[in-house]
Amino acid sequence: MAEIVINGLTKRYPNGFEAVKDLTLDIGEGELLVLVGPSGCGKTTALRMIAGLEEISDGDLYIGGQRMNDVLEKDRDIAMVFQNYALYPHMTVAQNIAFSLKIARRPRAEIKRRVHETAQLLAIEEMLDRRPKQLSGGQRQRVAMGRAIIRQPQVFLMDEPLSNLDAKLRVQMRGEIDALQKRLAVTTVYVTHDQVEAMTMGDRVAVLRDGKLQQVDTPFQIYERPANLFVASFIGSPPMNLAEAAIKQTKDGLTVSLGEAEIAIPHELAARNSLDAWVGKSVIAGIRPEDIYEVTRKTAKLQAAMQVKIDRVEALGASLLGYFSVDAAAPRAESVSAIPAEEVLSEAPLTGTSGTSFCAIFEPRAMLKIGDTTEVALDLSRLHFFDPETDASLLAEDEPEKKKKPEAKKK
Amino acid sequence: MKNIRRWGPGLLLVSPSIILIAIFVYGLIGWNIKVSLSNWRQAQPTSHYAGLGAYRDLAHDAQFRLTLAHLLIFTIVFALGTLIIGWTLALLLDKGVKGEGFFRAVYLFPMAISFIASGIVWRWLMNPAPGDRTTGLNALFDKIGLHSLSNQWYLNDHSVVFGIRSWGMAAMALPAIWALSGYVMALYLAGFRGVPEELREAARMDGASELRVYRHVVFPHLKPVTLAALIIIGHISIKVFDLMVAIGGKQWFTQTPAVYMWIQIYDSSDYAKGAAIATLLLLLISILVIPYLIYTVRAERRS
Amino acid sequence: MTATPTTLPASVPARSRPGWRRVKKARAPAIKYTALLIFAVIILMPVYILIVTGFKGVAETDPAHAWALPHLWTTSAWRQAWDQLSPNMMNSLELAIPATILSTVLGCLNGFALSKWRFPGANIVFTFFLFGMFIPYQAVMIPLTELLAKLQFPAQLPRLALAHIIYGIPITTLIFRNYYATIPEDLMESSRMDGAGMLRTLWSVVLPISVPAFVVTMIWQFTSIWNDFLFAVFIITDPSQYPVTVALNNTTGSLVSAYDLQMSAALLASLPTLVVYILLGRYFMRGLMAGALKG
Ligand SMILES: Nc1ncnc2c1ncn2[C@@H]1O[C@H](COP(=O)(O)OP(=O)(O)OP(=O)(O)O)[C@@H](O)[C@H]1O
Ligand SMILES: [Mg+2]
Repeated sequence: MAEIVINGLTKRYPNGFEAVKDLTLDIGEGELLVLVGPSGCGKTTALRMIAGLEEISDGDLYIGGQRMNDVLEKDRDIAMVFQNYALYPHMTVAQNIAFSLKIARRPRAEIKRRVHETAQLLAIEEMLDRRPKQLSGGQRQRVAMGRAIIRQPQVFLMDEPLSNLDAKLRVQMRGEIDALQKRLAVTTVYVTHDQVEAMTMGDRVAVLRDGKLQQVDTPFQIYERPANLFVASFIGSPPMNLAEAAIKQTKDGLTVSLGEAEIAIPHELAARNSLDAWVGKSVIAGIRPEDIYEVTRKTAKLQAAMQVKIDRVEALGASLLGYFSVDAAAPRAESVSAIPAEEVLSEAPLTGTSGTSFCAIFEPRAMLKIGDTTEVALDLSRLHFFDPETDASLLAEDEPEKKKKPEAKKK
Repeated sequence: MKNIRRWGPGLLLVSPSIILIAIFVYGLIGWNIKVSLSNWRQAQPTSHYAGLGAYRDLAHDAQFRLTLAHLLIFTIVFALGTLIIGWTLALLLDKGVKGEGFFRAVYLFPMAISFIASGIVWRWLMNPAPGDRTTGLNALFDKIGLHSLSNQWYLNDHSVVFGIRSWGMAAMALPAIWALSGYVMALYLAGFRGVPEELREAARMDGASELRVYRHVVFPHLKPVTLAALIIIGHISIKVFDLMVAIGGKQWFTQTPAVYMWIQIYDSSDYAKGAAIATLLLLLISILVIPYLIYTVRAERRS
Repeated sequence: MTATPTTLPASVPARSRPGWRRVKKARAPAIKYTALLIFAVIILMPVYILIVTGFKGVAETDPAHAWALPHLWTTSAWRQAWDQLSPNMMNSLELAIPATILSTVLGCLNGFALSKWRFPGANIVFTFFLFGMFIPYQAVMIPLTELLAKLQFPAQLPRLALAHIIYGIPITTLIFRNYYATIPEDLMESSRMDGAGMLRTLWSVVLPISVPAFVVTMIWQFTSIWNDFLFAVFIITDPSQYPVTVALNNTTGSLVSAYDLQMSAALLASLPTLVVYILLGRYFMRGLMAGALKG
């Protein structure tokens, strides 16, 4: 067990492409850090540099206080779980799990004991004599975990270990890996592009985009206080609604005009975002879908109401997604996370309406149909503001104790 | 680059072979060129530089020019024959017929036999002897009443056709076609089978007849295979040696440059001339193969 | 040997033209089989001649009986061929077995390093090797014989074996490299992470799954070495060390020898490769594929 210190890590591929740019991260002892980001953002590359499978072009890597840049992968004492498991096809499960110990020339009795313990831990004892071909996807996944666990390494690295499993199994294995990691308390870097995995498993989450670190914080903080437009739009499903909005000064304080709605901003919110400096200018305002309500149900002082026409509804059972258009410009496309394909498709009916499509999560039994007009309210305390030029959140730097990374977990 | 410990062992593992290939392929090619430029034209080795004399001799050597004509005819017939037959066999087998394994094995088995051994049978089959010494195919033709098909086989050189006197070489291509058609079939069969079934399905769904599926979907996919087959057959053809020796020995009517080189060395002890012929053969093959190798390795890297 | 385009529309899409279906299904394979069988007969014809003539007495090898079965089956020609060729067949075995094994091992090491333990410039090295597969060996033959003689390299057969090993490197490397290209990269990385170095990875992870490549390469090498004539005729000058191809060519090349002896000798000399081919033909086909630079 050891902490990982990453300082200015950069990967330049021979073709000149920079897949990871100046990555700086501290990963605490026993912590599970999730590396998340869209496809091609450099997650795998970063992980492989830590593993030693990819040469580090620039920057430093320390594990347990020792500089690892020039240490061969086999000497780094790191175990890795591969996306396709990479089980040795000609070896039985037991031999697969024991391979690293055999190479380390551990005594036979010890190997046998540890294989047995590991198999017990993962509930794969009956499969020890089988070949990988004779296992199901979930079982292979367990064997791959076993191969990593048995070594009791300083660090676990996992690259999308669950992406080959079906949805149900993924949820189950997610829990198992999480529990196992907490139990073994081995420092772990876990790569995924699934934000649910990121939010549920990570002690902290690092969001990567185009090789650059966007934000690293606890899942809660990432969700509540996204550092920039990209994180705001990447984390959360459906994503945060974002649109350009003008800040104005009135005699009662500041207002933000979102489309036709003129919304008074609570003092405290304005202060936290230093909005005074933005009077007469445009910002990007954001609100998460769950913070938009139908007025009929709930009213509160801090809620600003606006009339909207529902363009499309999606009944999900537990909730109902309603889409409507707000007459305000959307943020620049390059600032936000690319819209997933299915969202693009669903926007098709909106052609003709100008403005930005917003999504709200309504009560499942709200009787909304396409074409209905309804009044919605925003939970003003949960408005987010971003600088339209730099994309950065306007939220003032937080009190230091909130920023601190969580304590290393105890066994 | 900086982490030699990472890739050093790999290089070390290959280095014995790199050294061997460097010496025995590239080094000896260079040495051979040097011999071709020397005055080693008798049994006793000498290594004085003597310029292009051996090459100039070759340019004026009618016998050498004849071997080049032989090679040309042989290559054309050999390549066309194997490509057409191999392609046809692959097409016949493509859809899968019962006993495919048997047919494939039969068509391929000549590959397992040396030209020296099969040459013996083919010498018998293509025996040009007339009258009561007739054997082989001529005898068969006589027996089944196709006397008109009887011919002189590799001795067919009397009549000048298209200004070429070397049609006997077309007959010499028969054993080579026999030996390598199965090989080309195997290449084409892999090519046919490499066309994704979805592509064929899609064309069928678009209403294409099976004939059109082949013409517009399958055949265009075979271009790289045809190229590979041409290169392989072409270079085998340029090197061909034992087949000629087995059937015609050192006689002039089956001489190719490779055989002529052997004769220069063993009978005339003209090493410089032999080396010059070998260098020209290498040049010929390089023109054929080097662009192909570069193209292949590049295409591989791209994918 | 006319190509048979009539068999081309093998099966017209059954669904769209139900009326055609029965006719086509019944007839197309018949035409196909006929064509396939004709080709098979033509290809097997020389074998028929080899066997039939080999079992004839000298008296029956005259042109009048050229294509007929022997009246009197006799093995005298076979015994004669065996007497003449058996020492040379032993030479060929002595040559082919070690040369096959060694060139295969080299191919394995190279193929592994060039595809799974790569170093900068691995592709260039591979191309550099590959060209050696295509060169006409005539272009190295004069210096090669001179060099081997100069080096005082032991006896003649080991010299020939050395030549076969070296000039076999390109093809064996190619076969192994193409085979290893199909092994997932993460198996190597996994082994590295498990703490194994290169040799350990090769031994414990790669070799156990390389059996098919070994079989293919060994068949290929054994066949080409056994069948080689060019290297042997240049390098071996001592008749007692001739491999079987050279000896066969010498016994039968003099056109005076009887056909029965010629044929039985030819078949005898081909038996080892034929047996290998019949037993392991499936792999042979794969070796051919590799020769075409295809994965
Ligand atoms: N060998 C290479 N040479 C050049 N560019 C590369 C190389 N390997 C990866 N890349 C590029 O580096 C970027 C990051 O790749 P990486 O595999 O790290 O992405 P990722 O975040 O793991 O994506 P995914 O979620 O799809 O696995 C990609 O744009 C990729 O195209
Ligand atoms: Mg990845």
